[in-house]
Amino acid sequence: MWWERWRIAVMLAPTLLIIVVLFFGSLGYGFIQSLGYQPNIGNYSISLDAYSTVMFSERYSEQFWRGLRLTFFVSLASTAIAAGLAIACALLLRQTFVGKRVATFLFQLNLPVPHLVIAIGIIFLFSNSGLLARAAAQMGWISAPSDFPVLVRDTEGISIILAYLWKEIPFFGIIVLAILQSVGEDYEDLARSLGANGWQRFRYVILPLIMPGLLSSSIIVFAFTFGTYEVPKLLGVRFPEMLPVMALEFFLNPDLNARAEGMALSMIIAVIVLALVVVYMWISDRAIRQT
Amino acid sequence: MTHVVLQKLNKVYPGTTQAAVQDMHLDIPSGQLVALLGPSGCGKTTTLKMIAGLIHPSSGDITFDGASVLPIPAERRGAVMVFQNYLLFPYMSVGQNVGFGLKMRGVPQKTINQKVIEMLELVKLPNIANRRPKQLSGGQQQRVALARALITAPKVLLLDEPLSNLDAHLRDEMRELILSIQRQLGVTMIFVTHDQEEAVLLANQIALIFEGVLQQYAPPDVFYRQPISERAARFFGGVNFIAGTRRGDRVTTALGDFVFNPAGKDSAPEGAVTLTIRPEQIVLQPADTRNSIAGRIRARIYVGTYTRYKIVLNDGSEIEATRPGDVGSLEEGDAVRLAFPEDRIWVVAQR
Repeated sequence: MWWERWRIAVMLAPTLLIIVVLFFGSLGYGFIQSLGYQPNIGNYSISLDAYSTVMFSERYSEQFWRGLRLTFFVSLASTAIAAGLAIACALLLRQTFVGKRVATFLFQLNLPVPHLVIAIGIIFLFSNSGLLARAAAQMGWISAPSDFPVLVRDTEGISIILAYLWKEIPFFGIIVLAILQSVGEDYEDLARSLGANGWQRFRYVILPLIMPGLLSSSIIVFAFTFGTYEVPKLLGVRFPEMLPVMALEFFLNPDLNARAEGMALSMIIAVIVLALVVVYMWISDRAIRQT
Repeated sequence: MTHVVLQKLNKVYPGTTQAAVQDMHLDIPSGQLVALLGPSGCGKTTTLKMIAGLIHPSSGDITFDGASVLPIPAERRGAVMVFQNYLLFPYMSVGQNVGFGLKMRGVPQKTINQKVIEMLELVKLPNIANRRPKQLSGGQQQRVALARALITAPKVLLLDEPLSNLDAHLRDEMRELILSIQRQLGVTMIFVTHDQEEAVLLANQIALIFEGVLQQYAPPDVFYRQPISERAARFFGGVNFIAGTRRGDRVTTALGDFVFNPAGKDSAPEGAVTLTIRPEQIVLQPADTRNSIAGRIRARIYVGTYTRYKIVLNDGSEIEATRPGDVGSLEEGDAVRLAFPEDRIWVVAQR
């Protein structure tokens, strides 16, 4: 019966249709706009001018390339540091100790908190008029709160990284904890009995076992931090700007011609993220085939 | 070859009051193959892990060749464990798995490669060093796990349920392999199992453990002939138990008096005892009627190599006897006489 053969495909079709229309539709429409095709303002021609303007024009090129570097730096640093700290926390949290339940609860507390709230929290804590600056001044460690090191709205994106760490450490942590719990401690016991010391057990046993899960969550975190604008908009500086904020400003420009540059920038971000997803899939496919 | 002694070993896990292992004393001569046997949760794996150094005892001592090993961490103790589910590292090749212990010791790669080949030949799996664990059968995985443990030349090899995951054919193969390796290398081996058949197949000595307490430590045949208690006898397949009172070498039961010959290995004091005899030791339709009772066959079960008879006795109780093959013409409902040979009866104290 044809129905039996096509049943699952037909049942999945509505969901797949929504995903395909939303993903490829918006991506396709955005791509066309990035080529300058905007009938609503009378632009019918197609060119790569918007890409060239964003990347190579005297007006935007420095902002673009420095923004790209900053975006890479912030995304890579926040992903790598969060993953590293999360592994350390997960390894501690799986031990038996007094107050474990409270510690685990506090560790995961940030998960439901929106990034925006965390960004505001960072301002309250780390800005020159924030709690830490005032406390440091009160203690006499600095003469005035304004002497506190610039951690918020700094050119290196430190406050943005801090905000992402605050949010992503528990995200990585619960994934690593779940993997460690599902794997159990037998592999480590075995390695120990075969002569592996603490570092060797981490390097040759724990790390390879958690790596597939860690890689997939790293890609999620990297893609998110690379493409989102709320936190860098609140905590970043005007120059250099992270690419998503730069794209947002093109969109918010009252001149509708700037929409093409905004779309071109979004396409560049999308291509970079997609390229990373492909790399991830290649790595995870290799990992799966090996196991 | 290492002489292992457990001295008054205790383990109480945090948050519990019941000891997982209690006053365990075990002397394992070098080069022996000893089974820690008992039901699930009896403390045998805890004992094994304490020997390996993976669990620290609450009190007591463990010595290798007379020296305490408690201060020595697991990674330097030389007691290597082979886990029940083999635990080959899935992200490594077979060769990398086998060479793992040497790599951890900083042995040069060239030497590791050579030793890996030797070990894989020892477990009769040459030419598979480049394969992945998932490409191996269960039996092959276990051999690789054994090779991985042996490559480090352990003082003591600890095996967790070494035969229980294998089917009957592979069990025989693995048993022979383990025994031949043990003979070849002379390494002291200790394994845990809940399966008395596995213990009997492999071990020189069996330590029977119930609820963390060592019940009996003896060669396998002793558990069949002279079990320490009714429970030990039941664990080894004993099914015939008759309550009675012992006076010297005579046991008076509701079925009559039985004379037995304890052969100097008495296990029960005078007074209330339980008489036990294995089904294969009962003589059906004996020529000599001493030590015999009457019964009627309730069920006859042909098992191929032997036939099992369930026999109802005069007091309504039931006893089981077996005969090799399908000898004779005893049928269900037949009246039958059963004799208990004096030297096959064993009595244990009632507890």
